Amino acid sequence: MRTTVAEDKDYRGKVHQLSRDIMTDWMTELKDATKSPTPSAYMMISGNCVEILRCFDILPVFPEVNALQLAIRKQSLPYIIKSEEIGYASDNCAYVKADVGYTMCGGVGENGNIPVPDFIVCNFVGCNVYIKWFEHCASMFDVPMIMLDIPFVREDGPSTDDVKYVMTQLKELIAHCEKLTGKKFDIDRLREVLGYSARAERGWSRCKELCKRKPTPFDAYFDSINMMGPINALRGSKVAADFFDQVVEQYEGMVSDGMGVLEDERFRIVFEGPPPYPYYRNFRNLFEAWGAVAVQSTYSTVGGTWEFGFTHDPERPLESIAEQMIIHNLCNRSMIERYAQIQSYVDEYDADALVIHSIKSCRLFSAGQGDMREYFTKDRGVPTLMVESDLEDPRYYAEAQMKNRIDAFFEALTYKRIRGKATA
Amino acid sequence: MSTEAILERCRALLEMMPGEALTEARKTHPDIGGLAVFPLYAPFEVIHAAGLMPVGMFGAGEQVEISHADSRFQSFICSIAKSTLELFLRGDMKSFEGAVFSSICDVARNLSSLVKRNTPDLYIEYLHLPQNMDSAGSLGYTRAEFARFRDNLSARVGRPITDEAIAESTKIYNRVRSLMRDLYDHRMRHSGAIAASDVCTVIRAGTRMMPEDFIPLLEALLDQVKSTPSHPRDGVPVVIEGSFCEQPPLALIDVIEAAGCLIKDDDMVIGWRLFRQDIPSNGPAMDPLGALAEAYLKHSVYTSVRYDRAKPRTEGLMDRMKDSGADAVVFAPAKFCEPALLDYVLFRKKLDEKGVPHLKIEFEEKMWTFEASRTELETFAESMLFD
Amino acid sequence: MKYAAGIDVGSTQSKAVLIDLARAVVARTLIDTGANVKRAGQRALDNLLKESGIPREQVGFVIGTGYGRYKIEAGDDQVTEISCHARGAQMLFPATRTVIDMGGQDTKAIKVGPDGDVVDFSMNDKCAAGTGRFLAGAADVLGLTLDEIGEISLTGTKPIRLTSVCTVFVESDILSHLAQKQKVEDILAGVHQAIASRTISLVRRVGREEEVTFTGGVARNIGMVRALEEKLDVSVNVSPDSQFTGAIGAALYAMDRVLAGDAEAAAVSDEDTVWVDE
Repeated sequence: MRTTVAEDKDYRGKVHQLSRDIMTDWMTELKDATKSPTPSAYMMISGNCVEILRCFDILPVFPEVNALQLAIRKQSLPYIIKSEEIGYASDNCAYVKADVGYTMCGGVGENGNIPVPDFIVCNFVGCNVYIKWFEHCASMFDVPMIMLDIPFVREDGPSTDDVKYVMTQLKELIAHCEKLTGKKFDIDRLREVLGYSARAERGWSRCKELCKRKPTPFDAYFDSINMMGPINALRGSKVAADFFDQVVEQYEGMVSDGMGVLEDERFRIVFEGPPPYPYYRNFRNLFEAWGAVAVQSTYSTVGGTWEFGFTHDPERPLESIAEQMIIHNLCNRSMIERYAQIQSYVDEYDADALVIHSIKSCRLFSAGQGDMREYFTKDRGVPTLMVESDLEDPRYYAEAQMKNRIDAFFEALTYKRIRGKATA
Repeated sequence: MSTEAILERCRALLEMMPGEALTEARKTHPDIGGLAVFPLYAPFEVIHAAGLMPVGMFGAGEQVEISHADSRFQSFICSIAKSTLELFLRGDMKSFEGAVFSSICDVARNLSSLVKRNTPDLYIEYLHLPQNMDSAGSLGYTRAEFARFRDNLSARVGRPITDEAIAESTKIYNRVRSLMRDLYDHRMRHSGAIAASDVCTVIRAGTRMMPEDFIPLLEALLDQVKSTPSHPRDGVPVVIEGSFCEQPPLALIDVIEAAGCLIKDDDMVIGWRLFRQDIPSNGPAMDPLGALAEAYLKHSVYTSVRYDRAKPRTEGLMDRMKDSGADAVVFAPAKFCEPALLDYVLFRKKLDEKGVPHLKIEFEEKMWTFEASRTELETFAESMLFD
Repeated sequence: MKYAAGIDVGSTQSKAVLIDLARAVVARTLIDTGANVKRAGQRALDNLLKESGIPREQVGFVIGTGYGRYKIEAGDDQVTEISCHARGAQMLFPATRTVIDMGGQDTKAIKVGPDGDVVDFSMNDKCAAGTGRFLAGAADVLGLTLDEIGEISLTGTKPIRLTSVCTVFVESDILSHLAQKQKVEDILAGVHQAIASRTISLVRRVGREEEVTFTGGVARNIGMVRALEEKLDVSVNVSPDSQFTGAIGAALYAMDRVLAGDAEAAAVSDEDTVWVDE
């Protein structure tokens, strides 16, 4: 089906620009904070409780976002090498290595771009590496690390004991924030912040839903990155809530005009795994060349699975924060649940195939993806392509091999379609 | 029983596949069922109280050719994950009720999902062991998690697991741990009394026996070893760090000692030796699950898979060195072991600060030549002897 | 237009095949790729036409494939070697459902449909471990040719165990086995076994379905053929044309285009694709 898009780059560019603007503002805040007494804290993206920091006006800092930015600007390698010089292994997560290397080279602190945090909140949500990463940071900065141990989802949902445990720890975090800032915890302020979170989450959910349309107004993998920063790091701020209102308007407009992100949408795919940030555009082009666009992705839900209906509830502030951290994000759920998530995407978004981008750094995502591939090709009959590189370390991206596998896969799908039409 | 006979028995057990070890146990405990325990820790007492034998799963590296699991796991994943999955995929674990995994690392967690999906008839449990030791909610949570395990296990075996039974099992495992502490203690004080690889052999074999059978074996061994005079050995006293999950091949442990080191302490099979003291099993308000939970939180040895704000692992390592009289550290992590390799950075930083010599040698369970490691170790030992 | 041609530019050798309207192979050629990969495709085509005596105008369509595929200027279009090996193998052995292709630098397992289409594939293209390059390294160390090592490996009775299949270590591994007085045939048997094991895991990913056809340069190694048969527990098809499988598949795809009337050379070179980095 040919779509008529006058200047698709413009549409893609609009949301991208909005996102860049608010993320840049946050980066500026971070840079300003390097020289001011503004309280700040480190936090992890997955299942985070940024709202608690916000209601104390503590500036949230996300080292993962820093690592991501370094990679996408192709600046990560020297920092990775620096870390390897002091003992990090080649098999260790490159996010950690890039961030630690960056820190060692002065990126954090008065002469850098990121403030030294007053404390570190380690929201242990699925990823075990988080704990060590933040331990290393706490050691480098000599600041306290607050552990938020979030029980992994092991039964159908969180138990009352799980929620109780998390809420106790949240209250302990709140007490720590009170001590640091000298302010009393204001639950109404938290409710207000959660209200902004909920508005942003509804916006996100609406945008993702629009990808069910044909053609999809945006690439749910490559373009989701524009939304992930605001929803995971800036969530709880009015700015992020307003951003999502605008983004919904953009995409709804495109859908009502019948416009897709691709002029010729030929293959709809579900993407699994983080992207190769150092070769972002290159990787995307390899798929666009075949008219392949992502209609859903698992990676975009690392911070929260908002599209399945959950939003933070100002009427149940700590409970809904606890629930979100435990179950409404990808990282704290098992591989088996991820398979179910992918299958629901394939069904509801009418996808033709699954593409697994397996990355060396992240065992949470990658360890065992061979089983995922087997499950989808053999048990579910979903054509599946697996490609490999890394999300942060550019040394693992081999373009020729990547293109070879992608081309072979879409060649086969194309011939299958042609043959299907011929016998129809 | 002579020391050599004891060691022979232990070696034989280690050569068996887990299913064979279970069959062997049935000679003295007819019809006993088994529950596999992937390193590091699970409340063994609860498993035992359920009338099952906990069997340590430390991989099957040398015994099993990996031909199914390597299409599921990438090449940069540790061998133990692959060989463990291989055993399940091949049906070697059919005679077990199932297996219990825990939150030791991202690979172990995904492994539990893969095992669960591929062996739907087995009971596959995943324990989220606490990572926050000093929250007001830690004890309640930990106890609740152990209780959840007890309830699920009870449903699986179709009989209740009473507090009395758990208390009894606690006493038994207390005795096992106490004897293992004695063995380690004896080795530490009397170099030459028993080879480090023999200690490992025995400790590993213990994870494949009913504790009721392991106790007399340990008692006999200790008797023998303590009453047999031995010549003290020369060497650089070291602790081994990083071997808490996938176990180094016994031959490598021999190489470490042959190269001129005396292993004074190590973290091998640490999950089965986690507690420094006996866990209370009786008392006015007997709550054996609570006692286990408390012991896990407050009275256990540091490991690389657990965060303890109050007692950082680097402090733990320094204490271990001091207590055992070691002068140096040999890091022996499994290849691709994420927690060990990450911890290495902080450990190394601390050791360099304190001027403690250290060496890192990586291994894989299926390795069988160690030339490169031998050279490095000899150089290392020499450099300290001739300091 | 009575013919179609396929060119397979490999890292070391380039192959070209000419087929007629009945899809029969009328000519084949093999040359060294050399340093100039762009030229290699054209040279192979020129060679092919010279040997066959067929003028270029009679060749309706040319498809390039292989390692240098999107640098080839000689072809009218490109198709991946995965698709070409599947198609080629199926033509050589119509009941083929699984293809194992072992080339100089990568190994592939391909699941093939009844029409020679690719159903699934799995590749080891990240490193040379367990590929033809490993065999070449082993042959080098032992002072043997590639043709000899296969035969010799079959006489080994106690295959040695390799510590790793890392090509970087093949030399030192073999030397240390030689130092331990292991027999050359046992060492070679072990080498072939190790590579076969790695290959089997690729096959498992796509599923082993009979018949299994072995293609690529390494298929001429009888030791490798037997090692695979042993591990797969099934006999494996090997064609005398195994090296030309990719070129045959490319030629078949080219003939599709001739028959569909695509007589013009739709030149697609990589200069047309603009890859702009962020």
